[in-house]
Amino acid sequence: MKALEVQNATKRFGGLVAVSDVSLEVNQGEIFSVIGPNGAGKTTLFNLLTGIYAPDQGRILLFGKDITGFTPDRVAKEGVGRTFQNIRLFGAMTALENLLVGMHIHIRVPYFHALFRTPLARREERRAKEEAEKLLDYVGLLHRKDELARNLPYGEQRRLEIARALALKPRLLLLDEPAAGMNPRETEELQAFIGRLRDELGITIVLIEHDMRLVMRISDRIAVLEYGAKIAEGTPEEVRKNPRVIEAYLGKGAAGGAA
Amino acid sequence: MTGLALLLSLAYLGLAFWAPGALSNLFGLVALGAAAFLRLSPQARTLSLALLTLAFTLGLWRSGNTLGLIGLVGILVALTTLPRIPNWIRALLGLAILLVSVPLAGFANTFIFELGIQIGIYAAMALGLNVVVGMAGLLDLGYAAFFAVGAYTWAIFGSPQAQNFMQGNFPLPGEYMYLFMGIAIVTTAITGLLIGLPAVRLRGDYLAIVTLGLGEVVRILANNLDHPINFTNGPQGITPVGRPPIDWFRDLTSALGIPLDRTTDYQLFFYFLVLLMIGLVVLVNLNLANSRFGRAWTAIREDEVAARSMGIPLLPTKLIAFMTGAAFSGAMGVIFAAQRTFVSPESFTLLASITILAMVILGGMGSIPGAILGAAALSILNLDVLKTFSEFVRTSLPQIPSQVDPAKYERLVLGIILVLMMIYRPTGLIPEKRHRAEMEEEA
Repeated sequence: MKALEVQNATKRFGGLVAVSDVSLEVNQGEIFSVIGPNGAGKTTLFNLLTGIYAPDQGRILLFGKDITGFTPDRVAKEGVGRTFQNIRLFGAMTALENLLVGMHIHIRVPYFHALFRTPLARREERRAKEEAEKLLDYVGLLHRKDELARNLPYGEQRRLEIARALALKPRLLLLDEPAAGMNPRETEELQAFIGRLRDELGITIVLIEHDMRLVMRISDRIAVLEYGAKIAEGTPEEVRKNPRVIEAYLGKGAAGGAA
Repeated sequence: MTGLALLLSLAYLGLAFWAPGALSNLFGLVALGAAAFLRLSPQARTLSLALLTLAFTLGLWRSGNTLGLIGLVGILVALTTLPRIPNWIRALLGLAILLVSVPLAGFANTFIFELGIQIGIYAAMALGLNVVVGMAGLLDLGYAAFFAVGAYTWAIFGSPQAQNFMQGNFPLPGEYMYLFMGIAIVTTAITGLLIGLPAVRLRGDYLAIVTLGLGEVVRILANNLDHPINFTNGPQGITPVGRPPIDWFRDLTSALGIPLDRTTDYQLFFYFLVLLMIGLVVLVNLNLANSRFGRAWTAIREDEVAARSMGIPLLPTKLIAFMTGAAFSGAMGVIFAAQRTFVSPESFTLLASITILAMVILGGMGSIPGAILGAAALSILNLDVLKTFSEFVRTSLPQIPSQVDPAKYERLVLGIILVLMMIYRPTGLIPEKRHRAEMEEEA
C-alpha cells in the first residue's frame, strides 16, 4: 500500500489551471520532494492534499483510503500533519500551548469534564503536557516552552512548527519549504532532523523545497512541476539529468550545454 | 509618599466617621488614587487599601452615598491588578468587601443592592459573552436574545401566563426557579445552536450583522407572540413572576443575628445568589480557557487555516463557544426575571446587546476581571453616576432645559468612552496577556 496516491488531480482558479492532471505515488517511509519554479503549483498541490481546496478532478488516497474532498480537519484526523510556507504558528500562544493545540485530537476530554475540570480532565491535561514537553525536548526547544511563539528566533519557529505538526502523530508529514530563509548551517541541521523523523518515527515525508542541495541530498524520489503539470519524476540522479527539468529551471538551450 | 498615602487613608477614615457623605467619599476616591498610583512599599500599600476598605464601608454604612461603592469597586480592581500584595490579603479584603461591606451599604441604602445585583447579572453575562467574543473571537451583536430566552423561560411558567396555552396549575411554585435555571441553560443553548448554525459559518462583520438581526428577531417574537396564542403577553410583558421562598434564608440570617425586613430580604438573597453565580461562571470560564476547548478557540481566533490543519473542526468548535456563552446568559435571565418579578421585551433591545459587548471591550477582551470591571463600570455609570449628575444639574441649574439632561445622553457617553478607549487603551482596562500580545503583533 502506498502512503499517498494522487490520481489525475486538477485544480482550476477561473481560467488558470494551477494543478493540471498530476499523478504521484509516495511509498511508506519515503522522503519525497516536490520541486518546480515559482508558480508551478506546488503549494496548491499541498492545499489539495490537506483539504484546503478540493480538486476539480481526480482522487487523493491516503494509505489506500480515499480522502478526496475531506475538510482540512478531517484530513488532519486521518494522520496528515503539515507546515506552511510562511510560518503559521499561533504567535500569541506559548511554544507549549502551540503543541497542545497540535495534540487537540489526541486529548480526550469531553466537554462537561472540561467545564468542571474533573479528575479525568486533570489527568488528561497533565498527560498531554508531559507528552508535549517530551516532544519539545525531542526538537530541542524545551527551554523555550513558556515563551510566546512569535518571540522565538526564525529557525526555532520553523522547528516549532514542525513539532506542532508532529504533535498530531501524523503518518504523513507535509513540509512546505522548511529551509526557506535558513543559512547553510541551519539547513544542514534541518536535513539531519528530517532524516531523524523518518528513521526514528517512521513518518513518510513529502516536502516542497527550493534549496536544491537539500533536495538532492535528502530525497529518495523527486517530482518536478511546471505550470501545474508534472514534467518529471524519479531519484535525484534521474531528475538532475532530465533535460525537461534543466530546461524548466535554466531556460531553453541550457539542456544541451549542461548535458 | 508612604506617609502621604497612609495619612490620606486615615484622614478619610475620620471623615467617613464624622462627616459621611458625597464630599468625604470623593476625598476617599482621591486617597484610593494615592494608594494605588503612588510609589509605595507593598506593606504600606496593603495597609492603605485595608484602611480604605474599612473607611469606604463605614462611609457607605453611615450615609449610603453611592460614591463609596465606586471606591469599593476601585479597591477590588487594585487588589486584582496591583503586584506584590500577599494573596491572602487579596482574598481576605475581596471577600470582606463582597460579603460584608456591600450588604452593610445595602442596608443603609437599598439602591446599592439594586446596583449590586444589576452589576452581578451583567457581569455574569459579560463573562458569557467573553467566551464568545474574547476567547473564540466571534463578534456577537445579538447576545441579549439569549438573556431574553432565559428570562421568558421562567417568566412564562413562574407566572399565570402559561395558563393561556397550557393545562396545568400555574404559576409554578417559586422553588421551581432553581430547576428553571437548569432548564433555561438548555433552552438557551438550543437557541444558541439554532442562531449559531447559520451565523457562525460567516466571518467578522457578516457574523456581527447576522447575529444582530437574529437577536432582534427574538425580541420581536417576544413582542408579537401574544396572538394568536398568548405566549409572551406581548409588549405589556409578564408580571408577577414568582420568586423562590426564602424562609430558610431569613432563618439563617436571623440565627446569625441579622434580622431582615421585607424590603431587604430578597435584595440580600438575590445579591448572594448573583455572587454565587459569578463565582461559578468565573470558575467555568477559567476551566474552559485552560482546556482543549479554550485552546482550540484561541487557535481559531488567531489563524483558522492553521487551526483546521491541526484537526480542529471549525463549525462544531465555534458552535460550542456560542452555546456556552448563550447558556450563561440564559441562567442569568431566570434570575433577572425573578428578581424584578417583571419581564418585557424592552429589556432585550439591541442597546442591551451593545452594552454587554461594550462591557467586555471596556474591561479587556478575553480578560475575566476585565469583564466584571466593565460590567461594574457601565452599570454604575448608567444607573447611578449619570442619574445623580442629572439630579444635580436639575436642582442647581434649573435654567438648563431638560433636553440636555445628562441621563438622556447615556449612549453618547458610552460612545465617547469607547472611542477614547480605542484610542488610548485598545486592549481594555485590565488587558488579558494573550490579547495584548496579539494587539502588539498587529501593530
